[in-house]
Amino acid sequence: MLGEVAKGDDAAFRAVYDQAAPAVLGTVSRILRDPAQSEEVMQEVLLEVWRSSARFDSSVGSAKAWIMTLAHRRAVDRVRSEERAAARELRATSASIEYDEVSDAALASLEQERVRRCLGGLTDLQRQAVTLAYYGGYSYREVAQLLGVAVGTVKTRMRDGLIRLRDCLGVD
Amino acid sequence: MRARRAALHTLVGPYVLDAVTGPERSDFERHVLTCEQCRDDVRGLREAAAQLAAATALSPRPALREQTARAAERIRQLPPVVAGELPARRRGWRGFAARLWPASRGTPATRPWVARLAAVALAALAVTAIVLGVHLSVMQSRISALEQRDSAIAAILGSHDATTLTAQVRTGGMATLVMSHRARALVFMATGLRRLPASKAYELWLMSPAGTKAAGMLPPGQHGMSGPVVVRRLAPGDKLGLTIEPSPGTGQPTSAPVVMVALGP
Repeated sequence: MLGEVAKGDDAAFRAVYDQAAPAVLGTVSRILRDPAQSEEVMQEVLLEVWRSSARFDSSVGSAKAWIMTLAHRRAVDRVRSEERAAARELRATSASIEYDEVSDAALASLEQERVRRCLGGLTDLQRQAVTLAYYGGYSYREVAQLLGVAVGTVKTRMRDGLIRLRDCLGVD
Repeated sequence: MRARRAALHTLVGPYVLDAVTGPERSDFERHVLTCEQCRDDVRGLREAAAQLAAATALSPRPALREQTARAAERIRQLPPVVAGELPARRRGWRGFAARLWPASRGTPATRPWVARLAAVALAALAVTAIVLGVHLSVMQSRISALEQRDSAIAAILGSHDATTLTAQVRTGGMATLVMSHRARALVFMATGLRRLPASKAYELWLMSPAGTKAAGMLPPGQHGMSGPVVVRRLAPGDKLGLTIEPSPGTGQPTSAPVVMVALGP
């Protein structure tokens, strides 16, 4: 599909939009919170996909991973550059509630259910480290602070948690 | 050096989750240039992280679809990266003009994620500017210069025959080369090189029985890293040498190489 987008096919672009926009919007709005900013970033991400689709190479990963990597990084970069220290502090204090939303939210689709089940297979610390970083947009140092554990521990839990997720989800 | 590499390697989890901050992100990305295992790890873990995104879908307002599609119509798409094809730039540097690579024209480049993300980050700048309605011919030309270097690096690192060589530098530090014989090109980087006074600079050379050709200056980098520099048009039997020369470089080496690497067949 991205191959068609790369040739300037706007119908293909709309199809990619339909498939990717909800996950992009969901992810960036978890991190950014602000609906208007989230919509803006979602559009920017999709326009990047349009612009760079010829550069996508399926041998180094799936289209989904490519697009979601763009989206996540963009949201995180924006939150880090724009968020004032005070606002961050505030967000940090409520973070322990936020990661629970991930597992408790009504996750309808099969795919969501699979992710939820796999997240459940992680140790508490692995799950918290992964979800605070991915859904909360926190740096690993911030995650260490939030969880009250050593920085080195957080780094390895993030890696081990992702490995376990990867194996559980059967992606490679 | 080894401890530092090990420390960087533990960042693979935080990196995939975008939980590293600026300097660490670029350190890790440089590390990945020379770490095949890391590349595989990042690739697999990134797929897992993408699934986390799928679990948070929200339906965008319907109006955004047309709005986005219309905005796309006004954005020129990037051409594909063609392995071996490099736009001419740095023309005339001691006769070491960038030229089109022979042979592999037309084959799609395997563009590794590092360089691709770099390119995408640059693309993001342009897209943002378009979204904001900014006119940006100056910015475009700067972006395109950076992109061209990145795509050259990407083409080399992504080629199937990419091999990594390391060598001690006589005056201190370590040189790393990632080379593709097929692309007839290599990426050169070094860590921990001795700092030079402003009047001196590191210069790269391609040395063969037929003579010695200047292969570019090695720019000092951040965090003790120098480079990366792309060296093209390798010929069988070439050696790559690094010498210390008067700034801003000379046409022929005036001192003995501080490191010399035989590039193989």
